[in-house]
Amino acid sequence: MRAQLPQRTLLSLALSLLFLSVARTTRRCPSSFPQLLSQLQSQANITGDTGSLLEPYIRLQNLNTPTLRAACAEFPVTFPSEDTLRALSKPRFLSTVQATLGRVLQQLSALAQRFPKTRAFPELEKTRGNVQGIRNNVFCIAQLLNHSLETPKPTQASSGASLSTATTPSIFQTKLDSCRFLWGYHGFMGSVGKVFQEWRDGSNRSRRHSPRRGLLPAWRKGASRIRPSRSSQSPMSRVQAPR
Amino acid sequence: MAFSAVLHPAFLLVVLPLKASLSEVLGEPFQLIPEILTVSIQSKLQQVNLQWTVPNLTHQELKMGFQIEISRMNASNIIWVEDYSTTVKRNQVLHWNWKSEIPLECVTHFIRIRAMVDDANYPPQNSWSNWSSWKEVSVQVSVAPNTLLIFPKSKLLEEGSNVTICLLYGQYLYNVSCMLQKEPIHGEQLDSHVSLIKLNNVVFHSHSGTNIYCQAMNATKTPFGTVLFVSKVLEEPKNFSCETQDFKTLKCSWEPGVDTALTWSQQDSQNYTLYESFSGRSELSDHRNSHNWKITEESQETYNFTLTTENNLRKRSVNIIFNLTHRVHLKAPHDVTLETVDAKKANMTWKMHSRGDNYILLCQVELQHETEVIHECNVSVHMSASYLFSDLEPDTEYKARVRCADANHFWKWSDWAQKAFSTPEAAPSQALDVWRQVRSENGSHVVTLFWKPLLKSQANGKIVSYNIVVENQDRPSEAEHYSVQAPALGTQLSLDMCSYKIHITANNSMGVSPESVMALSNDSGHASYRVNKVEAISHLKPRLTLMSLLTELQKNPGIVNPQSPAMKRYTCGQKANGVDMLRSHTLQQCYPSVLAAKEEVHEKRIKGTKDGFHISWEPLSGDALGYVVDWCAHSRDQHCDLKWKNLGPNTTSTNITSDAFKPGVRYNFRIFEKSVQQNAQLLEKQTGYTQELAPLENPKVIINNFTSNSFILSWPGYDSDFQSAFIEGYRVYLKSKEMQCHPKGKRTSLSDNSVLCEYEIKDPEQKSFTVENLQPESLYEFLVTPYTSAGQGPNETFTKVTTPDENSHMLLKIILPMTLCVLLIVIACYWKSQWVKEKCYPDIPNPYKSSILSLIKSKKNPHLIMNVKDCIPDVLEVINKVEGPKTQCIVSGKPHNEDVSIKPPSSVPTEDGSSGPVPFMFFENFTYDQSAFDSGSHGLNPGPLKDTPGQLGLLTPPDKLLNVLEKDYMKSLAESPTEETSLIYVSQLASPMCGDKDSLVTNSPKPVHCSGYKRQMAVPGRLPSLALSESNSLTSMILLGQGEQ
Repeated sequence: MRAQLPQRTLLSLALSLLFLSVARTTRRCPSSFPQLLSQLQSQANITGDTGSLLEPYIRLQNLNTPTLRAACAEFPVTFPSEDTLRALSKPRFLSTVQATLGRVLQQLSALAQRFPKTRAFPELEKTRGNVQGIRNNVFCIAQLLNHSLETPKPTQASSGASLSTATTPSIFQTKLDSCRFLWGYHGFMGSVGKVFQEWRDGSNRSRRHSPRRGLLPAWRKGASRIRPSRSSQSPMSRVQAPR
Repeated sequence: MAFSAVLHPAFLLVVLPLKASLSEVLGEPFQLIPEILTVSIQSKLQQVNLQWTVPNLTHQELKMGFQIEISRMNASNIIWVEDYSTTVKRNQVLHWNWKSEIPLECVTHFIRIRAMVDDANYPPQNSWSNWSSWKEVSVQVSVAPNTLLIFPKSKLLEEGSNVTICLLYGQYLYNVSCMLQKEPIHGEQLDSHVSLIKLNNVVFHSHSGTNIYCQAMNATKTPFGTVLFVSKVLEEPKNFSCETQDFKTLKCSWEPGVDTALTWSQQDSQNYTLYESFSGRSELSDHRNSHNWKITEESQETYNFTLTTENNLRKRSVNIIFNLTHRVHLKAPHDVTLETVDAKKANMTWKMHSRGDNYILLCQVELQHETEVIHECNVSVHMSASYLFSDLEPDTEYKARVRCADANHFWKWSDWAQKAFSTPEAAPSQALDVWRQVRSENGSHVVTLFWKPLLKSQANGKIVSYNIVVENQDRPSEAEHYSVQAPALGTQLSLDMCSYKIHITANNSMGVSPESVMALSNDSGHASYRVNKVEAISHLKPRLTLMSLLTELQKNPGIVNPQSPAMKRYTCGQKANGVDMLRSHTLQQCYPSVLAAKEEVHEKRIKGTKDGFHISWEPLSGDALGYVVDWCAHSRDQHCDLKWKNLGPNTTSTNITSDAFKPGVRYNFRIFEKSVQQNAQLLEKQTGYTQELAPLENPKVIINNFTSNSFILSWPGYDSDFQSAFIEGYRVYLKSKEMQCHPKGKRTSLSDNSVLCEYEIKDPEQKSFTVENLQPESLYEFLVTPYTSAGQGPNETFTKVTTPDENSHMLLKIILPMTLCVLLIVIACYWKSQWVKEKCYPDIPNPYKSSILSLIKSKKNPHLIMNVKDCIPDVLEVINKVEGPKTQCIVSGKPHNEDVSIKPPSSVPTEDGSSGPVPFMFFENFTYDQSAFDSGSHGLNPGPLKDTPGQLGLLTPPDKLLNVLEKDYMKSLAESPTEETSLIYVSQLASPMCGDKDSLVTNSPKPVHCSGYKRQMAVPGRLPSLALSESNSLTSMILLGQGEQ
């Protein structure tokens, strides 16, 4: 009984914090869709740059040798590929991004625990902040489109976004796995940025040609069901490297 | 059953000691063979834990020795033997562990043990017991085909230690290469599936560990690896000490040394623990380098601290023991006050945190001025104290500070407590260092006063102004006061020629400085003269009147002329000039200006060094009050930044140094002797350079008296006094082809067959040079450059000059005036051209420009034009132009300026054959003549004229028509046989020479005065003009004059 009480308290505290966070986020959501889209694309481009996290990690972990770099890049942890993301409907895409970034945040938090001296790896904290910011903006853009972000059915590729914890790997293996994870993360963010760019292009084009036909028709269409494109069904095509 | 159960143990208890006793009695060795219970492995630590027991132990306690053997790979390969002694209790499980250098996953080990009783209370066991059976120690690891396992998976070790890494190969794997970071490492093959890599003396690489990875050529490209976490060696804490400020807390501090933390949760930063042995308390420090230890028991005086630092690999400790009262670090003094007593004294007070008045404290007091400690002393005080600072400087900012310590057991000074303060101002304590420069201007003295700013220690405050009192020595009642506001360091006064005393003081808010006095005699404006011979006179007769002096001077005319300007200048600025005025002054007052005209103080050249100048002089009199050396840079600029130096009375030399001295700049020095009356007399003038430089510019040369054989080069504008060194002379370089140098010059042949002559002018004042023996019409090049002790002027381009032809100047004398005359005539003609034109050849209308002609030409239809051939004239009428009555016809007509040729008038026949006395001219109009040739259709041909007048076109141009008419008319007049003569009729529609053209009267048969017709003549086309003139029969003309025709 004594043990249950703190658990309940913690749970209620966590829920209330979550609610507050969402509420705060809601209040801060900008009302301009193009502005949000532009911001998201910029954030995706920033986080897609390997210099923001992967390269500092490689230097910090002494992985900056050709062999280890190759091992890091050639077998990245799989994220949804660009083709997969492009094939998703917009609501589905937003949900996928939101969910994937949620897992990324978890992994980054786990990684941060390995470094007691956060001063030695400040890029990690910065990236966590950026990812959280992107998630907030994704939330806002979904809200702007009257879409509630649901946890999407995991695609084949998205299942790889979390590290396997079946067996305790060696530290060396963990180092490499983290490196691959970061590689995949950067690639994923680059792909997300491209999809957002296409959104912007399409938005501009539709605004020019058919002002009434905005995102919503596509949204409704995508909301009905998720139909990955044929290319996304190929496991190989989902693996992509960041540029 | 129950009985037997009880009986059996009892039996054993009896039998076993009996057995032992029997063994002792019988002398057989009694063996206690240890029995291995378990052999366990800690892979991460690479440690084998052995547990055993000694069965059949008859004693409660028995001291025993054990020997443990470990073999690797097979039992016979013993790699480790260790003896272990301990007291064994009955049924006790004994532990022993062993660390393997090779990861236990890689190789199988075997372990066994034997024992021996080693207890003095019991008969010694002479030999070891039998070995226990071998126990196999191994970790079951399965290596999949084409994979590689590396052990240990990660390893924490200390820098400098050794480590062995083993590789387990799976099947089908070969050619494995390993790297440590970026360096390849090689191992030794233990068996077909195991190889070992030994790393000795590993070094710290990073907090993230050192990566070791291997890759097989035939396997997947994924590297297999491990990470060595090399920790830095834990250091012992340094400078561990504890102290108290308030007897409530002990602050212990130390230098922690390097942080040994590693990432990936391998090792946290080392921790620090304090243990006090007397109290038995132990506290873990929250900080790396300090800890606050609370004093719980006031009675405890002595403390024994052990500071222990520990990480995963090592533990280190340091220890101190001390008496609390000897570790008192007082808090900084408080309530510090400073009170200025006067401009030179201030009193400082402060208080201390102390445990009571019984404690004596030692305090250190410091006085600082501009970060420099100027006063320091130690005082013994109790809880409060004071200190008086004296000998302070007025108007000065100070900083006083104090710190204290326990006087009985000095441990550490407290922190400083400080306070800044300023002393009030006081009157300036020092007289100004003043000097003056005097120059005469329009019968008055312009006196420029200079003074140096007082030092801060002399000014005693902010100088507000400078007061100047000018006292006329001739009229003591008249004193003028001036005030100059600071920070000015000089002023200018305009005084008359009297003697003055000038008093200068500096003022601040608290008072006036001592005054500086300068006397200004009435010769001060001519200070470049030095009293010499007559001075002796003045010494002999100090009260000699001026007139007497003049008399004396007249007796020595070689000394001075009383009528000289200097003498005349002796007026003291009074309005009444003259002898009477002069008589009223004594020699002492006035003789300097009289004597001033005697001998000029010549300027002496001195040589400076980079440090400055050494100035020396000869004293003038023995009672000098002192000397003043002043100087300034010699420049074209009138402004002189005058500097001066005061020197004592017995000085005859000094070194003048200044950072402002620059090489290549001349400095003028003057040495003055100050008399008791504060008068300054110029002794010497010296000038020099700290460093002479080569001249920076060459003179601008003018060429004079330029002839074919010589010319004069002069450079009068070159100011040799303002150069970068003393000009010693000039060098003139003359260059030409095949030139003979003057004997005074040096000849140098150049590579282009030209000759360079160098002439040296050793007199710097000579600024001209005559170049002689030159060839006419030859090119010469010259360069004039000055030279100094440091070299000559810059090598500039030679100026080219070509000597003229010998006769050219004569030609010039003729041609030039002629050219001028012609030019004047042309100008005059041009000026009067209109007048000449009007008078001599007024405009003649061009018939082709006649409106009639244009009318005819405009009608292109030939049928509209009546052809002469179609008309049969029956009457020919000569049309005369009638002049107006007003016209006074000038018979001697003026020729047309363009197309009129002048014929001799004598050759022209008149109607009656007599030539009249009136001269006349006739005209030949070539324009018409030419047009006649050109007009082939209806013009006149040079051939015989056979056509009748009726065949002539009526509408031929009037001139031609007139020619025809004239011809007939003339024929009728002269009745000469000219029909056979070829003639060109040259005619002219004359505009009236006088009168209006428009007043042409066509039908007036009467001759009128002033006929407008010009002379017309018929010229034979093929005859020269001379023949024409000679043949009267061929020529005829109409003369329309005043009554003549």
